[in-house]
Amino acid sequence: MAEIEPTSEKKAIKQDKLIQLIVFRLGDEEYGIRIEQVKEVTVTPEIAKMPKTPSFVKGIANLRGDIIAVIDLEERFKLRPANEPLPAMSYTLAIEAKDYTIGIVVREVPQPLSVPMSIIEKTPEFIQDINVHDKYIEGIAKVDGRIIIVLDMPKLLSPAEIMQLNPKIESSAAAPRTRA
Amino acid sequence: MKSREEEYREIFMAEALEYYDAMSRHISELEKDPTDEKALHELFRLMHNLKANARAMGFNDIGEVAHQMETIFGLIRSKERTFSGSLVPVLFAGVDTLGNMIRAVDQDEEVPNADVLLRNLDLLVLGEEPILEAEEKPADEDASRKLELSDLVYIQIKKLDHLLNLVGELIIDRDRILTLSQEIGNPALQTAASHLFRIADDLQYSVMDARLVNVGSLFNKFPRVVRDVAVAENKEVELTINGQDIQIDRNILQIITDALLHLVRNAIGHGLETATERRRQGKPEQGNLILSAQTERDDVLIQVIDDGRGIDVEQVRRKAVERGLVSAEASKSLDANAVRGFLFEPGFSMAKEVTDISGRGVGLDVVKLAIDSLGGQLRVDSVLGQGTTFTLVLPTSIAVKGALLFELEERSYAIPLMHTDSVVSLQPKQLHVVGGVLMARLLSENIPVVDLRTLLHSASDGVLLPAVKAELQGRQDIIIVNYNNRKLGFIVDRFLRQQDIVIKPMSKPLDMIDLFGGVTLLGSGQVCLVIDVPALTRLFLAKRP
Repeated sequence: MAEIEPTSEKKAIKQDKLIQLIVFRLGDEEYGIRIEQVKEVTVTPEIAKMPKTPSFVKGIANLRGDIIAVIDLEERFKLRPANEPLPAMSYTLAIEAKDYTIGIVVREVPQPLSVPMSIIEKTPEFIQDINVHDKYIEGIAKVDGRIIIVLDMPKLLSPAEIMQLNPKIESSAAAPRTRA
Repeated sequence: MKSREEEYREIFMAEALEYYDAMSRHISELEKDPTDEKALHELFRLMHNLKANARAMGFNDIGEVAHQMETIFGLIRSKERTFSGSLVPVLFAGVDTLGNMIRAVDQDEEVPNADVLLRNLDLLVLGEEPILEAEEKPADEDASRKLELSDLVYIQIKKLDHLLNLVGELIIDRDRILTLSQEIGNPALQTAASHLFRIADDLQYSVMDARLVNVGSLFNKFPRVVRDVAVAENKEVELTINGQDIQIDRNILQIITDALLHLVRNAIGHGLETATERRRQGKPEQGNLILSAQTERDDVLIQVIDDGRGIDVEQVRRKAVERGLVSAEASKSLDANAVRGFLFEPGFSMAKEVTDISGRGVGLDVVKLAIDSLGGQLRVDSVLGQGTTFTLVLPTSIAVKGALLFELEERSYAIPLMHTDSVVSLQPKQLHVVGGVLMARLLSENIPVVDLRTLLHSASDGVLLPAVKAELQGRQDIIIVNYNNRKLGFIVDRFLRQQDIVIKPMSKPLDMIDLFGGVTLLGSGQVCLVIDVPALTRLFLAKRP
């Protein structure tokens, strides 16, 4: 899917292993997921809203015969107010979680990007500014002046995380929804 | 489809030919090593089975030969005869004769006369020398010898499960293609699509048919169970079994095995009285237990009927109040059926003493769960002092279920017909608010009604707000569901249609939400949630104002 683009960093550190990321935008930031965790990228299929789920769970969709849950990370990370409708055209990344597939909806076309392993900084320093809890973050990559937050998908997509099995949040999960 | 008679005959033939092959093999082994105990046991067993099967099918000639052969192998086994001398050719001739007879039955020919063989076998049993005729044209027989493969294939249920899943997927795609072809309107495509429709339909029923087994394959294990339980409980029980040849999906039968076992143990342990008690009440000393199966429309009804002491509704009512399942006030208005429904609540046991057989804290709720998981129904009827009847209403097949489609908030939902009692459209004036709950009076029954939208979106803690009649505008479309002897109405936006659907399990992690039994894909490609009536009923009971 991604072409390997030689970068200046690559020349500098010859033995460095390249990793490929799928990069997408959430809010004002760029996020990346390792390509091996992404099953496919597709135009978002029709989504059926499911009652009794947190509002960032957009619903379920039929992806080539598989019924998968589709979630909106912008809502999950509170980068966007809850219950805002998706634009007419959006994209879904089918992510392979531990024992199921889940869809992540993004508003712009995701792009592949190769970065050397070594530029991913393991210790994020400024995470508290944004609402992404640092436990979902594998590291921060600085590429040509861009900053890409690399997400640790298996952690983010554990069933307990997705379903927000936390009594405090449940009232918001069950807030009235008028949009189908 | 073949008649059942014919199907049995085919199974008998296939088994008989298989037995014959095995006999030929084992008797050759025995000839090589006359002390081969294993081969001897096998021969004895095969003869015994063939005898029983042949007699059951009415092929008495085969049964007779097999019986005599079995006797001789029995004598060899008990060391009264040895596999040697003139006995050997007679037994070989016996196996060959059986083979010929089986083949003759298969070809609908005259079954060869076995009198000579039977006379020789008789002589052998009596310990006398058989009269061996001169070698009968052995060359000719070798030339005409045929090798046959069995007509029966054993298959792992796993493979059939896989096949059924594939067919399920195919049906979904088929419906999609049919819808698309109608939209596109190309006549050639429409013809191909309708042909695909018929073939897929046939395929589906063939696969479902291949998975059917007789209820008898489970029922026939019960005489022994009943005997053991009756002895342990010190009761006299007469078991009657009806409808063994009713057919049902093998996996459904598997899933209800424990449930049925539980019901039967319960009936003997708690239902039937001891002989002394029965005599005192003017009943025959022997208690009657009936296991019966019958078909009703597309469903299979399995009943466990006893003529024991029955269920004391008032006692159940008291117990339900004690356990806080219902307020004392509300309990008074419940009818007997609704009260008996409490028996299926988790941990609700009426057993006063814990016996060895039943009442080990495992209640009827386990039975209920098993039936629910199949989308079936469990009913109980009882007359105090006269007995209790448990009825399991089961689908014949797991894959396809009849469902009612309806619309709510511009989305389609499906509700299995198994749990649907009726649909009604009512004007607001026909609904009344009683204790914060809407009530509809239908056919002299008061049925609580709830707006499904409100119920689905209710907060996970706390109760529903009391219903306000003024909120009802215009005609209300209501689906009445029936679960656990309780009726409940759901107000929906619009009824759509009735349709057979293939239910796919809810994908993880959304399967944590138990309100939906799964999803189905409609012909339009739309994803449609399938309502789980038991879970929704429980939610309503937990949340009613």
